[in-house]
Amino acid sequence: MTHEAVPWDGPGGLSGPIGVPLVDLLDRVLATGVVVSGDLVIAIADVPLVRVSLHALLSSVNERVPAPWADSGPL
Amino acid sequence: MSQGEEEQGLMTERGTGTSEANAVYAFAVCHTEGDPDVERLTGVTRDEPVRCLRIGSLTAIVQTVRGSDFTDEVWQKRLTDEAELERYARAHHSVVSAVASQFPTVPLPLATLYNGDERAALSLAGESARFRAALTRIAHHAEWGVKVYVPVARSAGDDPSDERPASAATRTRPATGAGRAYLERKRNLHSRREQRQADSLRVADAVDADVSRLATESRRLRPHGGGAGDDRRVQVLNATYLVAGHRAAELDLLVAELRRRTGAHIEVSGPWVPYSFVGEV
Repeated sequence: MTHEAVPWDGPGGLSGPIGVPLVDLLDRVLATGVVVSGDLVIAIADVPLVRVSLHALLSSVNERVPAPWADSGPL
Repeated sequence: MSQGEEEQGLMTERGTGTSEANAVYAFAVCHTEGDPDVERLTGVTRDEPVRCLRIGSLTAIVQTVRGSDFTDEVWQKRLTDEAELERYARAHHSVVSAVASQFPTVPLPLATLYNGDERAALSLAGESARFRAALTRIAHHAEWGVKVYVPVARSAGDDPSDERPASAATRTRPATGAGRAYLERKRNLHSRREQRQADSLRVADAVDADVSRLATESRRLRPHGGGAGDDRRVQVLNATYLVAGHRAAELDLLVAELRRRTGAHIEVSGPWVPYSFVGEV
């Protein structure tokens, strides 16, 4: 196997599982696409932003605006 | 959610007394008869333990946090502070991963917060049908990330030979037609660059098409921009796939073949808890 397996278990600490590139992790934890109605959720905008919101659809936010860690297109 | 409740929520978060109040951070929702073992998990704060909150036949994994750590202002700063953001992202992922290794789990986005257990239970219960659908969809599957890179084109002149005068003579004493030759070279450079871009995108599409065929679902994520300064590669594909457990080995073989066939640099990450496939895909 040429890839690094992402550990799913093991004692969790604040450091969390190691070996997962941060940018790949953020792709996933910030935009899971699940509709949640948290009393406060992070919203991603061109300026990194947290919004107080009772209903947030993170996936749609993510599709419409640039994520804070990405800059230009692929080329 | 009525307007009144919404206003109340906003006021609670923004009111002056909120910094002292506690909030409930929700990591994930899982399907289990018993409680997942969360004892050794730290979560996002060391002040309170990670614990389970029953939501009918589902269980939410939550932690009580200080409201003052989760205000609008604090999170604004946190999102621009890579170290802080990383700390929270990894803490969140750590809990999600630990729970997912025990029971079928739907991860929640980073920083999903409620004003107390009751609010969390009420809100999450209201979405239990959606959680069940997601659990069905991701059962016996894992998420795998596939990123494709091509070597970055040299900037400005690209291929230096394109710009080099044909001989010393042309440099010192431009011959008739030198201007046209110059334009010709520029045009060639331009079309070659376009050709290279088209080739790169074709490689990206080919990889995506092949991996999609063995995946149950696929999503293309936003490609990452230029990273470290000495990274001489351009990312042309950042995609993620929901792959059945019994096909994971096939993915490995396919990627090896795609590397040989395309010559592109292909990175695979996983298995991930299917973060990208728990929403309405």
